[in-house]
Amino acid sequence: MTVAQHDAMPAAISVRNLDFYYGAHHALKDISIDFPQGQVTGMIGPSGCGKSTLLRVLNRMYDLYPGQRATGEVIFDGCNIIGPKVNLNVLRSRVGMVFQKPTPFPMSIYDNIAFGVRLHERLDRAAMEARVEDVLRRVALWPEVRDRLRDSAAALSGGQQQRLCIARTIATRPEVVLLDEPTSALDPVSTARIEELLDELKADFTIAIVTHNLQQAARCADQVAFFYMGEVVEVDSADRMFTTPREKRTQDYITGRFG
Amino acid sequence: MERSATSPSALTGAARGNGDAVFAAIVRFSAALILLGLGGMVAVMAWGARGAFARFGPGFMFDKAWNPVTQHFGAAAPMFGTVITALLAILLAVPLAFGIAVWLTEIASARIAGIIGTLIQLLAAVPSIIFGMWGFAVLVPFMAHYVEPLASHTLGRVPGIGTLFRGAPYGTGFLTGGMILAVMITPFICAVMRDVFLSIPAVLKESAYGLGMTRWEVVRRIILPWSRSSVVGGVMLGLGRALGETMAITFVIGNANHIGWSLFSPGNTIASLIALEFPESAVGSLKFSSLMAAGFLLMLISLGTLVCSRLLLRTKATGR
Repeated sequence: MTVAQHDAMPAAISVRNLDFYYGAHHALKDISIDFPQGQVTGMIGPSGCGKSTLLRVLNRMYDLYPGQRATGEVIFDGCNIIGPKVNLNVLRSRVGMVFQKPTPFPMSIYDNIAFGVRLHERLDRAAMEARVEDVLRRVALWPEVRDRLRDSAAALSGGQQQRLCIARTIATRPEVVLLDEPTSALDPVSTARIEELLDELKADFTIAIVTHNLQQAARCADQVAFFYMGEVVEVDSADRMFTTPREKRTQDYITGRFG
Repeated sequence: MERSATSPSALTGAARGNGDAVFAAIVRFSAALILLGLGGMVAVMAWGARGAFARFGPGFMFDKAWNPVTQHFGAAAPMFGTVITALLAILLAVPLAFGIAVWLTEIASARIAGIIGTLIQLLAAVPSIIFGMWGFAVLVPFMAHYVEPLASHTLGRVPGIGTLFRGAPYGTGFLTGGMILAVMITPFICAVMRDVFLSIPAVLKESAYGLGMTRWEVVRRIILPWSRSSVVGGVMLGLGRALGETMAITFVIGNANHIGWSLFSPGNTIASLIALEFPESAVGSLKFSSLMAAGFLLMLISLGTLVCSRLLLRTKATGR
């Protein structure tokens, strides 16, 4: 992709001068980064560099834990979402999240999806069934589960569970989807399916994905951000990041010299 | 290199002494002793109770009379009191324990949760006689002067459930007994609930919050379904303790052989009846045998509850 295209995309989320603390530990240091609308932003860097922490700021997940706090600005839909007056339930329905391990809820496959939708929308039975089928088709799970929607989600394989979790997340029609190493617990075939899925989903959603797999970042991401020790060292298009990185530290990381 | 048969590294030959065999015998004996003790206890209770069961038959369980003068004994009243006070205790303790467990695991900061959690565990270590003294000195007068008059003037006038809250405000009675038991079993129920809630994977809760659920929705829709059988198991464990508790309840129940729907009326439980009357009944007398029979029934009720809780907790451990 060209620089012109890259810059033309308006940002779905703009992070400006963000600092984040786990108690006394300063985990993110003066971070600024844009997540362009309709694109996949890959976040790479060694463990503990702050990439997952940034994801947890974007949907305020850190709020669940006392002692964790953020300062700075995270602009989403014209609003600083780390401000005090944000309705977290609405925010989290608009900024969905998929975790490293599949986390099916202890209920049926159908209810795993319908449940999240019911929190925010009133749909009649037919509309709900249509919604469930639609998202299951989008994650390519429909053919495998259409005859057992009422079975427990715990009976699915790991890869199927992860696709169910993605379906559950997009069923509430968020604008942004955050993925925290979504394939690190999956086999190569399931991983490939989820990577294909990301490519289709970015037509409708802005995607931020944390990954330890540099090939995955190169394959899926339009824009890549390299994190190191709580700082964003470099943000660039995936092409340039992996061919001509500007920073020495980026170069060292992607060539495997540390991390 | 040659090894002689007597060298320490030879693979064949006698073991160093027979310590292993002795040790095995000791631990096997310890395990057998438990079985023997339990079986012996059931047998002794049943044997002691034979006189009462022979005289009164199964009707012993449904007979309200307890009259040493006419030598007419029945266990209906204490059984009623036992079950009512235990149910009241569960009714009061479960919401309380649930609230504490949710607060400890979901809301409180780790430091405060640690302190309060320890304090609640300490509550479980308070001897029951202390609860009895506190109940008699503090709770009974408080109930007699404030709670019961107030309740009978308000709730007592409601048609239907009003029956439960009418009657003379003695302070002692089923409700006070249930309250004491509730305080005593809350730590046990709370401990079980807290452990189960803590065993729920954090990412599962986070993904629920990630869909925009409120705290209450996460508790109601994710945490409770996930931990349902263990929570029920914990509640049964508390119920078992409430059924058998003796000292504290003897102090506050009022000790009247009475069945009635007023929660304020004095009554008794199997345990309180035995505690009061056993020491003064002659071995071999019909009263002695009737008390043994009542004790036997209590043991059946408690064992049944415990078995239920074990079954529920086991399904959780092996299932899923």
